[in-house]
Amino acid sequence: MSIYLEISENLQKGKNKIVKELVQQAIDQGCPAGEILNDALMAGMNIIGEKFKNNEVYVPEVLVAARCMNTGVQLLKPLLVADGVQATGKVCIGTVQGDLHDIGKNIVKLMMEGKGLEVVDLGTDVAPETFVQAAIEQNCQVICCSALLTTTMDVMAEVVKAADAAGIRPGVKIMVGGAPITQDFCNQIGADVYTSDAASAADAAVALCQ
Amino acid sequence: MTNIERAMNILHYKEVDRLPAVHFGYWPELLVEWAQQGKIPQELAVGNWDGSPKDQELDKLIGWDFNWYSTKGSNNGLYPCFEKKVLEVFPDGTQRVQSNLGLIERVKPGVTSIPSEDDYLLKDREAFETLYKPKMQFTPERVNLDYYRSFNETRPKDRPVGLCLGSVLGQIRDMVSVVGLSYLMYDDDEELLADIIDTYGEMQYQCVKTILETGAKFDFAHYWEDICFKNGPLISPDRFEELCAKHYKKRNDLCHEYGIDIISLDCDGVTEKLLPVWFENGVNTMFPIEIGVWGDQFEPARKKFGKGMLGVGAMDKTALRKDKAAVDAEIERITRLAAMGGFIPCPDHRLMPGTKFELVQYYAEQIKKIRL
Repeated sequence: MSIYLEISENLQKGKNKIVKELVQQAIDQGCPAGEILNDALMAGMNIIGEKFKNNEVYVPEVLVAARCMNTGVQLLKPLLVADGVQATGKVCIGTVQGDLHDIGKNIVKLMMEGKGLEVVDLGTDVAPETFVQAAIEQNCQVICCSALLTTTMDVMAEVVKAADAAGIRPGVKIMVGGAPITQDFCNQIGADVYTSDAASAADAAVALCQ
Repeated sequence: MTNIERAMNILHYKEVDRLPAVHFGYWPELLVEWAQQGKIPQELAVGNWDGSPKDQELDKLIGWDFNWYSTKGSNNGLYPCFEKKVLEVFPDGTQRVQSNLGLIERVKPGVTSIPSEDDYLLKDREAFETLYKPKMQFTPERVNLDYYRSFNETRPKDRPVGLCLGSVLGQIRDMVSVVGLSYLMYDDDEELLADIIDTYGEMQYQCVKTILETGAKFDFAHYWEDICFKNGPLISPDRFEELCAKHYKKRNDLCHEYGIDIISLDCDGVTEKLLPVWFENGVNTMFPIEIGVWGDQFEPARKKFGKGMLGVGAMDKTALRKDKAAVDAEIERITRLAAMGGFIPCPDHRLMPGTKFELVQYYAEQIKKIRL
């Protein structure tokens, strides 16, 4: 079995320590960082993402795989920068103002990183103007808003208004997601894209960045 | 007909004079809102919990018959629990708090919500053995025996009262967080999670057994779990069966021995994937069937499992923030569900801020007019 396949399979099983050792081993063997990222880590995350979309795996499997992905990326980061590997796009992501919940947002972030996107994480309780400011200052192509609560989801409409007021649309797209969010709600507030799960969100963001 | 007879007859497919107006409580912020609007007295806006005297006062004011979540139990959590303490305060007032379960969470004072998880104490076997296991043992003082010895004389006579069965996984999820539960389940220490569940489960079983041995009679028994979300369960169904099924079976078999045949389980989110484990191990009543926010459904479960699958809930509570037309449409929909038998309509979760007091009164009034 190639080391890339081994990394991918252990990532899918959520074996963090093993993935860390294998990625280090691949680096030590002189494997190019971009290849380790694409052919091992991202390959594994893509499989998990597809299985998640098809209800073949559940949140725990995604979380443990994402932890492995993150561990591997941390080891690769300096090498990727040195090799001049470019991200496939840049997005900023955050949980909207008044909402402190970030599990969903973090899963989406890791899935997006797994697709080769550069993700600016704005954290939780993010004000509408902060999303817009980040998109402008960091040249993000997509703003991703997350909410868990029915009481905070309306803040997403404020993000859309703030982006309109700043004149950054349609160049910058706005994605929305989270437990209470629906396609109807997305349409109602004038956001660009709604996805029902993290893997689909990552796919949609990649498409928007192309 | 009493409300006990109404509820139990419906859940046993027997005749009733009318539907009962049943609810599942309120977010605290809503009661404050209603008090500010002058809809309810200020004293009913604080210190209200399910089935409490204040809750019953509110029932009269609104027109509800009863709160389904009226259960009695024991001290079946960590005992003694951890001291709740504020670890850090941020400039915007947000606090980093260690909960009494050892979960580190972020909270905004005055806002009630699902915990926003930051960290947790129960990360490894050493933490389990030294910090948690001693707090998960059964001790007689967990059960107020005097209360239960006279329970049949003192209990409410016109509203169903449930026996609290605790939680097989939900409370453990609250100790280790969703993320921590995932790490324990797949990577960090798989045997440890099984040990935690078994230790906690055995303690809760002993609590239930001790209560039932006093001769106290209950109308139903009830679990709290909350281990699903919008896209389904927070645990894979296979692992859930492997780790948890035996605990449901043991507790439910005990309930059956004592004549309790209605066993409900509160789980938010889309529960479909976990229903087989619950149903096959003795849980037969879905609650609160969150159709509004998360899209959970009762009809597919009834079709799949037959008449043995009962339900309480499935009324889209968000209609109560809208208008009479939305409430009427919801009543029409849930009346069709009720006509199948074995189903009691109830708002699909706690009523949230923005809910209109008059619409809730209207809903309760209309639902009591329905004769099946």
